Amino acid sequence: MYVYLYDNFLKSKRYDSLIKAMETRLTDYGVAGKIIRLQRYTNCEMLIEDEIRKGAKNIVIVGNDITFGHVLSRAASCRVTYGFLPVGTENSIADVLGIPVGINACDVLAKRRKLFLDVGWLNNRYFISQLHIPPSDIEIEYDESFKVASKGRKMELVVCNLKPFVWSKGGKKYVVHPQDGKLEAFLRPIVKKGVFQKEQFEEPSIFPFEEIVVFSKKPFIVETDGNVSKEIKVKIKLAKSRIEMVVGKERKF
Amino acid sequence: MFKQNPDELANLSQETNRSHSNAHQHEDDQVETVVGPSVVVEGDFVSEGNILIKGTVSGNVKTGRLLTVEEGAKILANVKAGEAVVSGEVQGNVKIDGKLELTASARLMGDITCDVLVIEAGALLQGKVFMNGLEEMSKNEKKVVRRTKKTMEEDIDSSLDE
Repeated sequence: MYVYLYDNFLKSKRYDSLIKAMETRLTDYGVAGKIIRLQRYTNCEMLIEDEIRKGAKNIVIVGNDITFGHVLSRAASCRVTYGFLPVGTENSIADVLGIPVGINACDVLAKRRKLFLDVGWLNNRYFISQLHIPPSDIEIEYDESFKVASKGRKMELVVCNLKPFVWSKGGKKYVVHPQDGKLEAFLRPIVKKGVFQKEQFEEPSIFPFEEIVVFSKKPFIVETDGNVSKEIKVKIKLAKSRIEMVVGKERKF
Repeated sequence: MFKQNPDELANLSQETNRSHSNAHQHEDDQVETVVGPSVVVEGDFVSEGNILIKGTVSGNVKTGRLLTVEEGAKILANVKAGEAVVSGEVQGNVKIDGKLELTASARLMGDITCDVLVIEAGALLQGKVFMNGLEEMSKNEKKVVRRTKKTMEEDIDSSLDE
């Protein structure tokens, strides 16, 4: 049994025709199911667990990167197969998963090519796309073996999971893919350059890891999948093969 | 400073989206460990992939693959790697399985163990050099001497018997 979780923004009229076409395609494939519209404060974990109890075997997220992160950051612990139908803009995760945006995503869903994906774990919740700590006086301890700090400067930290971090230098591009058994931390200290001492990011330091602890004397901001919190110490871990997901042939891992 | 962050993040995500769409063109999938110029690492630094050091590492560095120490970078402990190219400063013993290359700007204070050593003019080196090939050669020589001794003894025995 399929359950479709529609993001609230799909109520907009401009998506009507696309949603109707997708629903028709899904019915043709015989994978149509119950539709639930997500609200801003919907508790996805409770909702999905409730649907699993009622017999749901597949949960399909319909929306964009924000919807994907919003649902899976809470519901990654639910043992069910997930699907994704990307609609609209801001769909970089769909590209990584090899799922085309729009009606063709239904074909990928119907083919049921399943893979287990790694996700990030932060204090007591999962993060799916990226974790971002804006420039702060932070220190980082990696895998309990070494410590990283900047020379008296603030640092920005980006930890990538499904959303790629693209960094280019000299025409060379580094694209981080999700299924490599490790998370990647990109650290960018702030340096002052030029006559006006303008603050700029230095080229990133890259550290693949399985577990890090980020700490500071002052509280720092942590942004994950639309959630923003202030922390003094956070533990970031890799949760291996946590989500079973339907992916496309053109996936980037 | 924090006022800049949303813009920076927006630029970053825009850059990510834009560049990801044409990522097939120039992408390099091999993510290596990079220690930036103003980053300080303290403790034993172990990595499975390539390591590129532009900053300071105070602790042992270990990798099975390529270690690159750029000009201006500093390592203050022992190093063990598959291969290495050193253009910065290393204060500690260096053990390399394959080839070690010291460029003109390299400063190395410690003993070296490697298979192949390339030293460019201008590089500074203070320490002993042990090359694996020589050890193997001396072992082989010892084996050859032992074998010849054995065969000689056997020949003498056989001649005495006759």
